[in-house]
Amino acid sequence: MLAFLVGEALRDLRRAGRVAASAILLITLALGALGGFWLLSTNLGRAVGEWRERVKLVVYLRREPSSADAAALVERVRGLPGVASVRFVGKAEALGTLREVLGKDAAVADQLLQNPLPASLEVVPTAGGATPAGAQALIAGLAAMPETEEVGGGVEWIERFARGQRLVTLFGLGLGGVLGVAAILTVTTATTLVLHARRDEMEIMRLVGAPEHIVRLPLLLQGMTQGLLGALLAVWILFSVHLLLAPRLEPLVAESLGLARLTFLTPLNLATLVVIGTLLGGLGGLLARGRATP
Amino acid sequence: MTPAAIIEPPAMMELHRVWKVYSVGPVKVPALSDVSFQVTKGEFVTLHGPSGAGKTTLLRLLYREEIPSEGEIQVLGLDLARARRGEVAALRRSIGVVFQDARLLPGRTVYENVAFVLRVLGTPRREITARVFEALRAVGLSARAQAYPAQLSQGEAQRAALARAIARKPLLLIADEPTGNLDEGMAAEVLDVIRDVWAGGTTVLVATHQKALARTLRRRTLTLQNGRLLKDEG
Repeated sequence: MLAFLVGEALRDLRRAGRVAASAILLITLALGALGGFWLLSTNLGRAVGEWRERVKLVVYLRREPSSADAAALVERVRGLPGVASVRFVGKAEALGTLREVLGKDAAVADQLLQNPLPASLEVVPTAGGATPAGAQALIAGLAAMPETEEVGGGVEWIERFARGQRLVTLFGLGLGGVLGVAAILTVTTATTLVLHARRDEMEIMRLVGAPEHIVRLPLLLQGMTQGLLGALLAVWILFSVHLLLAPRLEPLVAESLGLARLTFLTPLNLATLVVIGTLLGGLGGLLARGRATP
Repeated sequence: MTPAAIIEPPAMMELHRVWKVYSVGPVKVPALSDVSFQVTKGEFVTLHGPSGAGKTTLLRLLYREEIPSEGEIQVLGLDLARARRGEVAALRRSIGVVFQDARLLPGRTVYENVAFVLRVLGTPRREITARVFEALRAVGLSARAQAYPAQLSQGEAQRAALARAIARKPLLLIADEPTGNLDEGMAAEVLDVIRDVWAGGTTVLVATHQKALARTLRRRTLTLQNGRLLKDEG
C-alpha cells in the first residue's frame, strides 16, 4: 500500500510540472538562505567563543605593593567569583615590556626621569566571568578594591560583535522564514493544481470505499516529496559552495576573525534542514488538503 | 454490534417514506417524495422513469452520496442517515457503481483503471492481476487491457467501467443509465454482462429512462415520475 501511495504521489508531482519545480526551487532558496546564514552565524560564534577565551582585564594599582603584599593581593583577587587566573606585573616589568614594544626606539624609555608605569594585575576571567553580566560583576568587584586605581579592558567589543552575530542569525531566520512561507504557498498551489487534476481519482476512491487517509495521503506525500527534494538540493548547494569558497576565504578569515578554518554545518544541522524542508512541503500539502475537504 | 449484524440480508435495501428536497434559494424543490420500497438479496430491479424523475438522486442516496431530507434508508442493514464516515466507506466496498459516462480515469489503461480500485482498497498485489483479468474476461475486454479510455468505443468504455465495479465482487451493483449513450448493439452487450453478474448472485439495480430496455429486461420494475414511485411491478 505504501508503494502505491508513494507511486501516486510521484505521479502527482509529475502532473504538477513547472509549479512543482517552482515549489522545490523556493524551498531550496529558503533553506539555502537559512543554511547559509546558519553557517555564517556558526563561524562567527566560534570566533566570539575564541575571543572570549582570550579576554584579559588589567587592574592598575595606586602604588606598587611589596612582594608579600603583592602575593596576598593576587590570592585575594583569585578568590573573586569569575576569575580564572591572576598575574602580578610590577612597575619594572611593565617598563621592560614597553621597551620590548618600542623595539629600536626603546632608548626613549631611558630618557624618563622615573618609571611612570603603574604596577598592575592581569586578570583572566572564567567563561562565566567573560559574559556581559559576569564581566560587569567582576569589573565592579575589582574596582571596589582599595588598591585599585582603574580597571582596564573589557568585553563590550566582544558583546557588540556577538550582537552582530545574533543579528546575522535573526536576519537569516527572517529571510528563511519569508522564503519558507512563499515555499509553503507554492507547494499549496502545486498540490491544489494536482488536486484538480486528480479530482476524478479521488471521487472514484471515495466511491469504492477507500479510507479517507488513503484518499488524502498522496497529497501530503506529494508536498513532503517536494520539501525533501528542495532540502536535499539546498544541502548539496551549501556543501558545494562551502567546498569551493572555504579554502579561498580561510586566509582572510584567519587574519580578520582569528579562525584557522571555516567549518561546515554538522550532520545534525543538515538533518534539521532536511526535516524543516520536508515539514514545509508537508504543510503545503496539508493546506491544499484542507481546501480539498469535501 | 453493528447494524449490519442486526438486520441480515435478504433485505438488501429498504427505503421507508424517503424524501429528498433541494433548496434553490427560498424555493424548495422535491426530487423524491415519499418513496418506499424494498429489494431483497439476489433480485434484479429496473428503476425506470423519464429524465428528471429522480432516478439518479435515488441511486446517490443508496450509496450515500446524498442523505435523505426525511425518511429512512437501510442498505445492507446500515441506516444511512446515521452512518458514520467509516461505516459508509465499509458499505461502499460492498457496492459497485456504474455511471452513464463510465468515468474511467483518462491517464490510465483499462487494466490500470480496474486495478486502481483494488489497490486503493489494499488488495494484495499478487491478487490484483488475477482479479483484474477475471473481471475483464467477464466483460469481454481481456484483449483491450492495455488500451486507454480514449481508444475505446463507448460500449467498451462502459464494459470497462463494469469490470471496475465487479472486480471487487460487490454484493450490490448499481448502474445509472449504463446504456444511455450506447446504440442498440452496444447496449445489448452491456446488458448481457450485467445479467451475467446478476446470475453470479449479485443484487442488481439498473436505472434507465428507456422504456424498451426496461421491457427487454423483463424483471421487477420500479417506475418513478416527478420524484414519486408510481408503480412497482414484475
